[in-house]
Amino acid sequence: MAALRQIAFYGKGGIGKSTTSQNTLAAMCHYYGQKILIVGCDPKADSTRLILHEKAQSTIMQLASEAGTVEDLELEDVCKPGAGEFNPEDETITDGYIMCTESGGPEPGVGCAGRGVITAINFLEEEGAYDDELDFVSYDVLGDVVCGGFAMPIREGKAQEIYIVMSGEMMAMYAANNISKGILKYANTGGVRLAGLICNARMTDREYDLAKNLATQIGTQMIHFVPRSNHVQRAELRRMTVVEFAPNSEQAMEYRELARKIIANDLKVIPTPLEMDDLEALLMEFGLEEEVEVEAIGKRAEEA
Amino acid sequence: MFVCGYHFPASMGNDVSMDKVIEKVNGEAGDLSGISSIEVTGETAKGEIVEKFTVTPGSFLFTALADYYNKSDVPEKDGFKMIYYTNKYQISEISKAVDGEEEKALCRKLDDMNLYRLKIA
Repeated sequence: MAALRQIAFYGKGGIGKSTTSQNTLAAMCHYYGQKILIVGCDPKADSTRLILHEKAQSTIMQLASEAGTVEDLELEDVCKPGAGEFNPEDETITDGYIMCTESGGPEPGVGCAGRGVITAINFLEEEGAYDDELDFVSYDVLGDVVCGGFAMPIREGKAQEIYIVMSGEMMAMYAANNISKGILKYANTGGVRLAGLICNARMTDREYDLAKNLATQIGTQMIHFVPRSNHVQRAELRRMTVVEFAPNSEQAMEYRELARKIIANDLKVIPTPLEMDDLEALLMEFGLEEEVEVEAIGKRAEEA
Repeated sequence: MFVCGYHFPASMGNDVSMDKVIEKVNGEAGDLSGISSIEVTGETAKGEIVEKFTVTPGSFLFTALADYYNKSDVPEKDGFKMIYYTNKYQISEISKAVDGEEEKALCRKLDDMNLYRLKIA
């Protein structure tokens, strides 16, 4: 059997990372029979809700707090089977399944959120959650890797291939470049590699060109351009993935194609992040920003 | 990496040359002599058709679209198959570089944000 692949979805907050990762993992399971464990590493604990059809899963940190310590927990307490077709016992649509767990974190404004990630992964490993049957473990990680806690899955060599969810907007591209810097930092010690950018499109002008060129310049590929679709929101309101809600829709087909590419992907690189000036030059080249004269910096529109 | 739906091994790097992609698409497309034209429609997110044009044989655009249609197993709707956004942008990029002015004009339509569908005749 194939070796377990540990992948991670990184991206700036609000980019649609959890939505993209769940819909893609659902497609990997639904269409290709993959057996998957999701480890949500976002304090919002929303990395599994569409797979579970729930509002939010109780997190390892919450449950540990209630029980006393993390040592008082059993794997079954924190690791739940997906709902419907994603349940291991339901083989009507697929032999694949998805197991779900959320690390959780401290209350807002208190402590380091990264500690939850570290505690959760160590607990799952010790309790045998990463069993031989699995094809993929997927980490869903917030942020731009400025915080060392969120860098933990790559720093410790847990996640081996990283997919960065981004769009053609400046801050999303900035975060993608910054995450690449984090990968570069740990690439030689932990073996982590950048496996591609996923453009979760905002449907802005020349977005494909921009995302593709950023990917090429940082040494990777823009593996798939996911268009915007109302089906995503409709499915989310029902706490479902698109492949369950509308399996023959165009959007489900887009996620299926992304799933196929991730399963077959062998392009895993040490990234070559851009300097800030080069990133701004890229944005200007593709018309996201107009070049600004030095004299215009800090001036209002009517003054400039 | 993946271009026009085909997998190019990692040893070819992250910027596979257009020549290699064209060679792959031409080789995989096979005999397309039975296809006289490809009907293409573009529609908004609300499903309103705003573009309608035909692609005739003799260009990379024709070969790549016909190959996509033949290989893709996306559900048909009145004989039309949707084309993935990634594929339409990749096909357009290559076609604009190697095909004539007529195809370039069509590709500028494909570059927009609408959903495109294909039907072979």
